[in-house]
Amino acid sequence: MRFDEHALIDHVTQQRWYGAKSRDVAHAQVVDSVVLRTAEPQFALALVEMRYDTGAHDLYQLLYSLRGETIEIDGLKDASLARELVSAMRSGLTLHGAEGVVEFRPVEGYAGLGRELKDARDVGAEQSNTSIVFDDELILKVFRRLEPGINPELEMLRFLTEHGFANIAALGGWYSYAGGPLAATLGIVQEYVRGGLDGWELALDELAGDPDRFLGRLRRLGEVTGEMHSVLGSDSNDAAFSPETPSVESLGLLTATVDEEIARVFLMLPDEEESVAPIAGRGEEVRDQLRQLTYTGAAGQFIRVHGDYHLGQTMWAGDDWVILDFEGEPARSLAERRRKRSVLRDVAGMLRSFAYAASAVSLLRGTDPPEGWEEEARSQFLEGYFETVDASLLPAGQSATERLLAVFELEKAVYELQYELDNRPDWVGIPVRGIQRLIEEPTAA
Amino acid sequence: MSEQWFERDPLWFKRAVFYEVHIRGFFDGNDDGSGDFRGLIEKLDYLQWLGVDCIWLLPMYPSPLRDGGYDIADFYNIHPDYGTVEDFKEFVEQAHQRGIRVIADLVMNHTSSDHPWFQESRTDPTGPRGDWYVWSDTDEPYKDARIIFVDTEASNWTLDPVRGQYYWHRFFSHQPDLNFENPEVQDAMLNVLRFWLDLGIDGFRLDAVPYLFEEEGTSSENLPPTHAYLKRVRAEVDARYPDRVLLAEANQWPADVVQYFGDGDECQMAFHFPVMPRMFMAVRREDATPMYEILGSTPDIPANCQWGLFLRNHDELTLEMVTDEERDYMYAEYAKDPRMKLNLGIRRRLAPLLDGSRDEIELMHAVLFSLPGSPVLYYGDEIGMGDNVYLGDRDGVRTPMQWTGDRNAGFSRADWAQLYLQPLMDPVYGYQAVNIEAQLRSPASFLRWLHRFIALRKEHPVFGLGSYEPLRSDNSRIFAHIRRWEEDVILCVHNVARSAQPVQLDLSEYAGMVPEEMFGRTSFPPIGELPYLLTLAPRGFFWFRLRQVT
Repeated sequence: MRFDEHALIDHVTQQRWYGAKSRDVAHAQVVDSVVLRTAEPQFALALVEMRYDTGAHDLYQLLYSLRGETIEIDGLKDASLARELVSAMRSGLTLHGAEGVVEFRPVEGYAGLGRELKDARDVGAEQSNTSIVFDDELILKVFRRLEPGINPELEMLRFLTEHGFANIAALGGWYSYAGGPLAATLGIVQEYVRGGLDGWELALDELAGDPDRFLGRLRRLGEVTGEMHSVLGSDSNDAAFSPETPSVESLGLLTATVDEEIARVFLMLPDEEESVAPIAGRGEEVRDQLRQLTYTGAAGQFIRVHGDYHLGQTMWAGDDWVILDFEGEPARSLAERRRKRSVLRDVAGMLRSFAYAASAVSLLRGTDPPEGWEEEARSQFLEGYFETVDASLLPAGQSATERLLAVFELEKAVYELQYELDNRPDWVGIPVRGIQRLIEEPTAA
Repeated sequence: MSEQWFERDPLWFKRAVFYEVHIRGFFDGNDDGSGDFRGLIEKLDYLQWLGVDCIWLLPMYPSPLRDGGYDIADFYNIHPDYGTVEDFKEFVEQAHQRGIRVIADLVMNHTSSDHPWFQESRTDPTGPRGDWYVWSDTDEPYKDARIIFVDTEASNWTLDPVRGQYYWHRFFSHQPDLNFENPEVQDAMLNVLRFWLDLGIDGFRLDAVPYLFEEEGTSSENLPPTHAYLKRVRAEVDARYPDRVLLAEANQWPADVVQYFGDGDECQMAFHFPVMPRMFMAVRREDATPMYEILGSTPDIPANCQWGLFLRNHDELTLEMVTDEERDYMYAEYAKDPRMKLNLGIRRRLAPLLDGSRDEIELMHAVLFSLPGSPVLYYGDEIGMGDNVYLGDRDGVRTPMQWTGDRNAGFSRADWAQLYLQPLMDPVYGYQAVNIEAQLRSPASFLRWLHRFIALRKEHPVFGLGSYEPLRSDNSRIFAHIRRWEEDVILCVHNVARSAQPVQLDLSEYAGMVPEEMFGRTSFPPIGELPYLLTLAPRGFFWFRLRQVT
């Protein structure tokens, strides 16, 4: 199949999942393809190389269809064609392209794949993937920008499933490519949590209506998070997951990184802005506090973590929490996303999410949360978490754990501050309050 | 199959910061007193944090170590002290995962006299390897070739009692030169390159490349067949291995070194040796003229090539590429103790050379980072490590990396006596005063300063890709120049004097633009038609981005 190069460039560069918006594309070319459906309309998978004028390149996954002589580059416009991918997984197909193979694999014993799929709907493109929901039972994620190596979404779901962690949307199958251009995960299919309520939306709804009700759920979220971490750190035989003792300078490196980020962000802080007034000119205080927090040097064990943990990655499935989206931060490289880190980074992410929820309910729903709600949310969550998590993953002693957690919260809040200043000035108050809290709170001795 | 961690980028080395590692001295992963690949893997997070784009490994091959491993006894293996080929593969993989590339030293010119090739050649003159080295019945040929290791060698010929003939060696007598006239030798060396490229290595620093071929009546350096062979190497590498780099070590004058770039079809990189002694000279004489001169006499290089620049490395600070008079000056200023001299150079680290002056060390890095080329840092210099001139040869600048103030400087858990060399313990540069851990924690440390500085340089591709335009002024103590690439215009002004200096720069070409200081992002007064006045602190410098006012 020959594509018109200009049409290809036009199409890819306009997609939400296209990652190099600032670069000039010099060439686009299909480096390999396999046909998934031979009957009319034909449906096929292609790996497209985008080559920039600097000589650098990226690879993307395209699914295109063919009716007679007419090619449709966005084959998933007709979402029903995506069923071909699921049925290929069901039958465990291996398809050969010119440069490599595409392998489709089902998860043994997963019943959800057996049914005939009827309805298919596109649930919108994300930064890195396109998702299709079938019959409100299965969701297919097609990874668009391809990086060499296993995608953490597949890797984490498979590990958590094999090790009996139940609070995830079960993995049904996957497909991947291996060949000359690269070896990479192309997509997965997993259970669609029907009727599940997005954790972030639920937080806002209940904060506006019945704040105590949501507090009541947070202890359980802490427990589920703790279990997730315990499971992720439970297999010392699997090199990709076995807990690691961080090197002696790991805390020093973290401190230096956060410290320089603080210095950089405070250097650029618009002093006249009212929203930043509580912390304006206090960069040195923040850095001092950081030094206090990292004075004793214990970091616990490093394991694979969720990596992008906040309320928006959770779902209330009627009777319990389900944790979603193990892809990690999409802006980071795949190798970076697969790095082992402290579990407290995830915990800090969730705590910051509570701060956001408390403020977002005022900004978006026009009601203020009850006094002390965020504090209560934190303690509910942390209580559940510390009761469940394998303590050997944490720095020894409660004080060291609290300090390291505060460091990660500070790191996150400083990142948020920069982000909100650049993108959502109305939201700047949230990280400002977070940073203020961290400098005004005495550090545990 | 090998996984490809990087997006394809044939010019990556032009924007890269290199870091030279002495494996033995970096970190001991198996507690035997000697650094190794397992240890290096453990410290990759540190190098990633520092902002290193490419690690340059000193020789890692089996060797009797009579020349720091540049005497290779087996091209296809790893020195047992450093680990195994498997460890090496794991190291490359782990480095790649962190976005760090790896190049390694490779000596094509000669082998160790222990190498089986040489043993075969000397015992079986008519056998398959009889002609793999340069043999002669007399020590008469090639008399015009200079002797490099003047402290140890009296001739480039040594009589081999076994074969009863002289063999040719441009370096130590235990390092016989391979005979590149022999096509089998040429092919054998290409096979060596392919072996390591297949393991994922990103390139080579080709040691001692000017000496591959000899010819009567010449200096036997930089000869046309040497260049022809290097072009062949490049073509073979390019054909099968994308994005790899060949870095030539040719300690020669710029006009000779540029030949190693060919027409962009030979080595992608070459070290700019002569610029480095002149930086030290400029700082000591408080006069920037030597800098302007050497850069002025540096020819343009092909667009797909790059200079490698460094302040110090694992060898002596080489003074081969200066005049006799300049060399005397350098010795007088920087090698007051005769022990500090070695061959035609000074065997000291950066910090002690500059008397530990933080201002001077920062200034030297600023000049280095501002020049057109890719900077190469030497392990330990990022914390201002010292040296030990009482150790033999170049060991004084190859002592263990000082990680912490704990036992063995945090370098090894072996017994003190077992260490390959003991870490420095003197009160000024010893590991209790100078170590990574302490400097990481201190925001005002040199390490933290350098980290920010590396990040700043990497934010602006102009430093790797841009033009160099000298900006002379009436004040010879000021080294100023413009770097320009696409929309980015950078003005770099350095004061090499010990006293504060004013300078008036002719910036009329940029009238209307506003200089923004790059560290603190402070805007300076806009440039007008009149000379632009700046005052610089002693050993101070400014880097400005010139911004169009909107």
